[in-house]
Amino acid sequence: MGKIKSAIITAILVAAIVVLGVFATVSYTTPGSNGVGKFNSFISSIKLGGELSGNAEAVLYPEGVISASEYALYTTGAEEDKLEDYAKYQKRGSVYVDENAFEDYENGEEGFKADVLKDAQVLAKRFGEKGYSGYSVSVQDDYTVKVSVPTNFPYAAYADNGSSLRSSYTSEIERTIGYMFFDGELTLRNTEIGNTGADNIITPLTADVTSYFKSITNVSAGGNYAVRLNLTKAGRELFKDVTTRITSVATEEDDDKAIGFYIGDNKLIALNVDGTIDSGSFYIGIENGDAALARDYAIVLNSVANGDVLSLGYGTDDFTVVYKTSALGAIAPVYLGIALLFIIIAAIIYSVVRYKKLGLVNALMILIYSLAIIIALMLIEIQLTIAGAVTAVLGLALLCASNFALFENVRGETKKGKTMQSAVKSGYKNMLLGILEMHIILVIVALMLALICVGELASCGLIFFIATLASYVLYWFTRFMWYVLSSPVKDKFKFCGFTREEYEND
Amino acid sequence: MTNLKLSSKMHIMVALTAAIIAIGFAMGMIFQFVANGYFNYGQENSSYQTVVVDYAVVEFDDRDELIKLCDEEFDKAGVKYYSSNYGSIDMGGELTFTFANSVDGAKIQSASDAIHERLNASATASSNASYHVVNTQHGTWKTVTYGAIAVAAAIAFQFIYFAVRYRLTMAFAALLANVHNLAIFISLLAITRVPIGSSVAVFGVLTVLMTMIGCCLFFDKMRKNLKDEKFASLGVGEQVDTCVGASLVNTVTSSVAVTAIAVLLFVLLAISALSVQMIISPVVIALICAVANVYGTAFFIPPVYARFKRIGDDFKAKHTNKK
Repeated sequence: MGKIKSAIITAILVAAIVVLGVFATVSYTTPGSNGVGKFNSFISSIKLGGELSGNAEAVLYPEGVISASEYALYTTGAEEDKLEDYAKYQKRGSVYVDENAFEDYENGEEGFKADVLKDAQVLAKRFGEKGYSGYSVSVQDDYTVKVSVPTNFPYAAYADNGSSLRSSYTSEIERTIGYMFFDGELTLRNTEIGNTGADNIITPLTADVTSYFKSITNVSAGGNYAVRLNLTKAGRELFKDVTTRITSVATEEDDDKAIGFYIGDNKLIALNVDGTIDSGSFYIGIENGDAALARDYAIVLNSVANGDVLSLGYGTDDFTVVYKTSALGAIAPVYLGIALLFIIIAAIIYSVVRYKKLGLVNALMILIYSLAIIIALMLIEIQLTIAGAVTAVLGLALLCASNFALFENVRGETKKGKTMQSAVKSGYKNMLLGILEMHIILVIVALMLALICVGELASCGLIFFIATLASYVLYWFTRFMWYVLSSPVKDKFKFCGFTREEYEND
Repeated sequence: MTNLKLSSKMHIMVALTAAIIAIGFAMGMIFQFVANGYFNYGQENSSYQTVVVDYAVVEFDDRDELIKLCDEEFDKAGVKYYSSNYGSIDMGGELTFTFANSVDGAKIQSASDAIHERLNASATASSNASYHVVNTQHGTWKTVTYGAIAVAAAIAFQFIYFAVRYRLTMAFAALLANVHNLAIFISLLAITRVPIGSSVAVFGVLTVLMTMIGCCLFFDKMRKNLKDEKFASLGVGEQVDTCVGASLVNTVTSSVAVTAIAVLLFVLLAISALSVQMIISPVVIALICAVANVYGTAFFIPPVYARFKRIGDDFKAKHTNKK
């Protein structure tokens, strides 16, 4: 390869990195472009974990419990009849509790508290299924349940309170909290063979509802989302019987041919019956929904179908979600970005100082790696947490360790008296198996983590999987760049600080 | 590193490891009985106390002034919160000050009452300060359980891969390295009493990943060098020491990178959070992860592997002689 070709390839590569780098890091306004006011940079579109973008917190009050502020609002300066309504409320720490709320319990107040605790444990399980990178369900003041989930705002939504992007995230969070707090048992209803208002087609049967379902999960394929219901033997027989009866009874167009799945009095989904269902599992599609909604349905249905029912009723129509700033400071994501930038610059400086021109090649690989990780995080919508950032840095260390090991090997070969081309060839040959096998092991392990684990751990597994693949591809790309850069060099025994040892017989 | 002759220091390393694990176990058990926790569980997994201040913007348009007011009352009561955050609500905002469970609740309550009184000194009186006790349900069990399954599967996979592609003695050494480094990581968590958050499982897994990278580099060097007759004729100790010296820089690269990011984050996020306590959990755990890896991979495993190799070579020699 000649000098010109070498220069052109290098220039194209650098230009591509610069352009991608600009799109990755700079947000800019584009007034009038098809209604889009601002294009967000790749980096500001990455979903952030709760420790960076803050948590969404909500306190839900069981029926009969109100907050001190609500009590004060309705009683301060109120008329006598209004005061009488609130006379039954007694102060318990920071909340007010209706004394009648304990009537159904043998051990009174303690029984009520035990139910709140039990509900919190059920809710902890339900929220745990969401795969959050950190969440908590707590009993607050013995009488209320407090939930804290990561907002997962991208930086663009986190920084701009009024953006429509932010409101799409907040609506999803509020919807999820509402669904998770659905109380009551699972019932299946149809007006033709049951009574949609009160009775249903499951409770009159003798068996417990938990004996009908093995599990309820969510699936998505080709942009369609559904809930999959896996039935037990008894469940299969039940659905065969019920669907046969509905098919035979509902003959007119207007007849109810749907089986509604209710939790308490809340209808979640409905199965439209076109004929007898006689299989171990079936799907119910989610219309006008998304993967998160399908997941919410599956989680709450699975929880209730397995007997995890909330004992108390919570006001799911009326609760406030407060979006808190990160406990690490409102600009924690910016500081994380600065820290990562420092690491990248330090790795580049070390490479250049130690390996000179070859260090520049490694610097290019570091930049490409960083861009690859940013783009992957944005496209696959992986939540970035501090642990995730450390995982990405570990991937960078893997890339640098692979390249440095190779450079040292080539240096060793050069010292033996080989020409540069020959030393590079030998160096890669020597390192081929070691580097390949290390990457094979790490890719498989990362895949295991991504597939087996949940939440933050799965995200980190996925980040490391991408990082390991990028590392191996860039390891070979370094070889290509080595070829591009070394071709025009005239002295075949001296390159990038690598010099062969002089022999007398030379 | 070669001069250290690590291969002959196995007894010292084993004693050091045993001491770390024993101290960690003892500390964990003492705190299990005294403070109801083998580890020091963070906010996600343990109880804490809060003072929540809901305020109306019409009364307090300067949040910093309000925080100052609250700080004054906390100082008067002699209590100190370890984190605070803010969220906007309809027509106002909500400030939350979080206190450790060990702080005197009565004092926090009195500070909260005093704040409430001062907030409502104005005519509209639509702001509130309330004290809460929060008992968190352990929510990270699933992450830890699945993480443990994945790590066990990964370690088993690496063992099988090493046994097939490298040598059996190397496979056993790599297996021991993974288990050893994880044990050191867990013991150091128990000893240092760092608050454990949900990210601890991730850093536990990262310890194993870094160990795997280190083992791959070290044993690859060993495997390659053993093909050289001159190297193979050296004593086991010399072989191991040579390979440790040659692969050390690359073996510890991952730990250096993790340490660097941890230190940077510690400095920057401590400034951002205005509290060292909040950043301690992820950053110190990352540092412990790096320390466990460097100690285990660079110092503990080489001498242990040297012993394994001697046993393996002796076995092979005896087996060959019998034939």
